[in-house]
Amino acid sequence: MRAGAAPRGPRFAAPENGEDMPSASAPAHVVTEAGASPARELLTATGIRKAFGGMVALSGVDVVLRGGEVHALVGANGAGKSTLSRILCGHIAADAGEISIRARPVRFASPRDALAAGVAMVTQETTLAPDLPVVQNMFLSRMGHPGRLSRRGLERDAAEIIADMGIDLSFSLSDRVRDLSIAERQLVEVLKALANRPDIVVFDEPTTALSPYETERLFGMIERLSGRGKAIVLVSHRMEEIFRISDRISVLREGRLVGSDIATKQLDAATLVTMMVGRELSDVFSRHMSHGAARAGAPVLRVANLRAAPIVKDVSFTIAQGEIVGLGGLVGAGRSEVAETIYGLRRPDAGTMELAGQPYRPRSAIDALRAGAGFVGEDRRRQGIVPDLSVMANLLLNQLGLHRGFRWSHDTSGGGAVAIARSLGLPLQRLADAKLLQFSGGMQQKVIIARALSTSPRLLLLDEPTRGVDIETRSTIYKVMRERANEGLGVLWISSDFEELLGICDRVIVMSDGRSVADLPCDDLDVEKLMMFAAPRSSSHALSALLAQLVARFGGTAFWAYLEAARLYCFDSMTAPGGPAILERGTVQSLDRLRFGEALRMAENRFAIDADGSLQIMTVPLRTRRDHYFGHFGLALPATAARPAPAEIIGLVQAAMANF
Amino acid sequence: MSEPVAEALRPRKRRGSEFGLELRMLVLTLILLVVLSLSSKYFLTYNNIMNVLDQSVVVGILAIGQTAVVLTGGIDLSVGALVGWGGMVLALTSPSLGFVGSLLAGIVAGGVAGAINGLLVARVRIAPFIVTLGMLSVARSVTYLVSDAASITDLPPALIQISTGTVFGAPIDVLFLAALYAASWWYFTSTKGGCTIYAIGSNTEAARIAGLAIARYTVGVYVVSGVLAAIAAAFMAGRIRAVDPTTGTGLELDSIAAVVIGGASLFGGRGSIIGTLFGVVIMVCIRNGLNLLGIDPYWQGTAVGCIIVAAVAGERLLSWRRAGQ
Repeated sequence: MRAGAAPRGPRFAAPENGEDMPSASAPAHVVTEAGASPARELLTATGIRKAFGGMVALSGVDVVLRGGEVHALVGANGAGKSTLSRILCGHIAADAGEISIRARPVRFASPRDALAAGVAMVTQETTLAPDLPVVQNMFLSRMGHPGRLSRRGLERDAAEIIADMGIDLSFSLSDRVRDLSIAERQLVEVLKALANRPDIVVFDEPTTALSPYETERLFGMIERLSGRGKAIVLVSHRMEEIFRISDRISVLREGRLVGSDIATKQLDAATLVTMMVGRELSDVFSRHMSHGAARAGAPVLRVANLRAAPIVKDVSFTIAQGEIVGLGGLVGAGRSEVAETIYGLRRPDAGTMELAGQPYRPRSAIDALRAGAGFVGEDRRRQGIVPDLSVMANLLLNQLGLHRGFRWSHDTSGGGAVAIARSLGLPLQRLADAKLLQFSGGMQQKVIIARALSTSPRLLLLDEPTRGVDIETRSTIYKVMRERANEGLGVLWISSDFEELLGICDRVIVMSDGRSVADLPCDDLDVEKLMMFAAPRSSSHALSALLAQLVARFGGTAFWAYLEAARLYCFDSMTAPGGPAILERGTVQSLDRLRFGEALRMAENRFAIDADGSLQIMTVPLRTRRDHYFGHFGLALPATAARPAPAEIIGLVQAAMANF
Repeated sequence: MSEPVAEALRPRKRRGSEFGLELRMLVLTLILLVVLSLSSKYFLTYNNIMNVLDQSVVVGILAIGQTAVVLTGGIDLSVGALVGWGGMVLALTSPSLGFVGSLLAGIVAGGVAGAINGLLVARVRIAPFIVTLGMLSVARSVTYLVSDAASITDLPPALIQISTGTVFGAPIDVLFLAALYAASWWYFTSTKGGCTIYAIGSNTEAARIAGLAIARYTVGVYVVSGVLAAIAAAFMAGRIRAVDPTTGTGLELDSIAAVVIGGASLFGGRGSIIGTLFGVVIMVCIRNGLNLLGIDPYWQGTAVGCIIVAAVAGERLLSWRRAGQ
């Protein structure tokens, strides 16, 4: 911390005084606990208000950030978290409200002002220049300073920051950012934010592209920063992260603060979820939790070994009539690219597809539409909305593609589409409006979904269909999709919100590094395990290397799995040539049904023999330095094989874990 | 079909605000006409009105093709050169093919050049600015080569007839221009192709996902632009009774100016054929008015340039004010 304490801000800056606090909907949850912490207030923001066109993103929000604290900014999609953090970092200007840093009012006209005031941001999408080397990206903001930049000086500064954070880089400072993996780019993004030695660092959904181990590393860095008296803001909607890392929590819902500056200790997950989504949605979700009447109809879509360079490498799965199948994975795993390939927007290089039993090889979207596929892209503004056409023309756009005649008017084929729009709860008189852009995000999304449904598809590909929409729209989308599925529609549902996937889908296909790595029934899953399945192989290379090492040394089958009382989740496994192939990667097994299930329960750190005496098996639990459980490593050998010393295996596992 | 659904689909009368652009252009044009008729007593004479209409024909024809290209988000810098190229093919083939044959030859020549533009834009995905800049240079140079840099004055009489003749007192070329604008207005407002062209320019990616034939229409608008350039060349040749290798130089800028003054966005998706028509009229009237007032012709460029910038700035201000509401 800097010397010379700035005058302390008002300790009881109670958010209840904010003029626009929702008094009716939320006060039960508003716990304001000021004064308990000795930490110093670095930044206070009061009455922040922001509207985009007609859409109010934030209405009178207050935030206090203190040095040495991790402040989680929590909320569902579209709650205004990102908007608030972008205002704090000067990326956009608030319509009203005040920000002061160390009790001195500031006004940020640009991100540069915010940087100068000591506020830096790690953004959701990377803002790196792909053709510049890492070191220049880190110090990009210095390019705006007068005077010469010495490359050696920059490299020295960079090395100092990296040493300061206590991390090892898997890449060199002179590598071009283009050549780095997504997780590595995210790390560069963090280093870039630290390059100006900020006092306040805002992390906007930093883990969406990170595997659980990389998340651990990031959290290690965050703890180190807050240990040095920096104020940290973590924008997130992932429960487990929020509870693991944050000291305080502010909850946003539809642009309003429903929980302000609450100590994390005082909250539990259930309360937080209710605050985030409101009573209504928890009900909605639980109603749709009941999955489809698992009557597996005829397959609608069959994808086998699909490859579309450079991102999609090997993807296989099937969707049956009436099924909603989730496609899960981290950002960058290639989920959107799979949907786009199925819809004919990308050319496959290899693999086969069948739609409704017929060979299917679309060369463009019109082929896909005619074959009975529908598509809703993840980026509504880029892939959905045609801003200069009327709302009605937007709704009927797919009909325009299918239409074979020359003349064209709205009544040519509009009846079905309008009826669908009505079933989605769109007010019909507003279909006559001139501008779709003046609609709220939820209404826009309803128009885009109605457009896709208007061609009566057999297969619907939904890429993040609930991103940035309000709660009512979310629940309508869930309801309508479930109804459509019950009528026989097959749905592929891509979402980064794993709770949503588990809530709405019958099965989840997990993708990682462009491959489908698991096909799991949702009933047996929770978010944490889904994350582990989704971890890219590239990030778990240390663990894969360990599997290979064990198999090479001892033979048999080595596996990495998450063990519970009744189930085993196998994330990865490897079998020596001729060894017993006992566990398939990407599967969930019931321990009671495995012949070595009973042995597994007793095999921790020692060998146990399975029920019919043919297998000897041993497991070692994986814990990080921060004591986070990452499942068990296991080795299964034929009972006749020579038994290795358990200590030797434990030693190998611990050596591999030293990196975490 | 249930009652509310049928209600939503019922064709509505367009409200005044939806004609906003056309309405503003009309008001602007009327103001200009009033000012010019007050400043010069010759402006509203029959001869001068005929003169204005006559001068509108060539730019007016080119501006239709340019509007189609601009609506897709492209730009066609080659139309001036294609007027020269199409006119020269027409002039060179007329002794052997006669009037109709040579007119068709010119149209084919313009269409082929437009198709090359379109294919390079749609298939090879080169920026329209670059492609048509290249075509401008190539077409002009080929025009010089095929004509040995000489102008041709031996033209079929029918060609002169269509540019200067009248039917029931109305000039043929002006009637043709009116018919062309009526047809393209109908095309852009009530056909699948018109709607598709707007959708492509407004959001290409969304149009692709909706299954619209993007490549076909992109090539199409450049072909139309090339064909219209050849037709404009015929009227121009008839009026000046000669085809010169330099014919049409600078017309690409006039046609773009008309489209922009008419309220189209160079990013595509926004604009209208009626707006373009007003753009043409405004530009020609200003040139004509400055001539009548005896102002140094070198000022014309300044006037047209200022109007282009003022028109765009005015639209921008209006959209800002609308966004602020």
